[in-house]
Amino acid sequence: MTTISWLLIVHALVGVALLGAITHQAVSLLYRRPAHGARFLARYAGVNTRGFTTAVISLYVAQVTLGAVIYPSYRLNVRIPFEEMSLGWAIGIFELKEHFAGIGLGMLPFYARVWSAEPGKTPSPRRLGISLTLAFIVWLDFLVGHVLNNIRGLA
Amino acid sequence: MNYKWFAPGSFMVFFCCAYGLVFAMNWPLFTYYPLHGNFFWGPRAHTGLGPVMVWYGLMSSAGLVALLAALLIPEKVSERALRNYIWLFPLGAMLVCIFLLRQLLFA
Repeated sequence: MTTISWLLIVHALVGVALLGAITHQAVSLLYRRPAHGARFLARYAGVNTRGFTTAVISLYVAQVTLGAVIYPSYRLNVRIPFEEMSLGWAIGIFELKEHFAGIGLGMLPFYARVWSAEPGKTPSPRRLGISLTLAFIVWLDFLVGHVLNNIRGLA
Repeated sequence: MNYKWFAPGSFMVFFCCAYGLVFAMNWPLFTYYPLHGNFFWGPRAHTGLGPVMVWYGLMSSAGLVALLAALLIPEKVSERALRNYIWLFPLGAMLVCIFLLRQLLFA
């Protein structure tokens, strides 16, 4: 296995960690009922959502950095075969993934701001909006990366 | 983070607007040719160097605009003007990206 293959695996693992953190936070924002119940969802949502903010930001920056390091290899070794296979849609969803990831990076300072500056457990519309949008980006990027890796693999 | 000199709301709004614009107009700050590791300022295409990458340059262009806005426009201005609708800007930028990539996505 090459260095790029290892980096791709680390990229996937960081993606899983990021997915877990941001999903926890998003579910907690959406699940408004008392969090002391015995049900799984109540326990899943009953976490200190503010505590996930630093983890989400750190993992997101790490994830985009890893993606940026791997990207030239994709451009040379993956995209060109996709073009030869006429997989325009695969190229398109990768481009969407990269642009969405970039937009998410631009959201991070404000994401940190709304989580650090607003007291109280009831989320403001902007905290809810920004957190769920970031969660959507993370989910979409993870799924697109998974699909593209299934097409091309590590070889 | 010290929010007295850096306005995160202004940064995000201008980053999203600038990203949509530089992507639509193809205005990367620089381009990268990964085959031989060449960097060039601006969007001008160079032949014979292999495939080009513009994403780093687009991010840099949008980031530069957003950084200037975040330093120059106080947070209370963007707070007052946009309040609870500020989170719609990333969604708008994402829709612009989908529109610009429509030929690849929906071919």
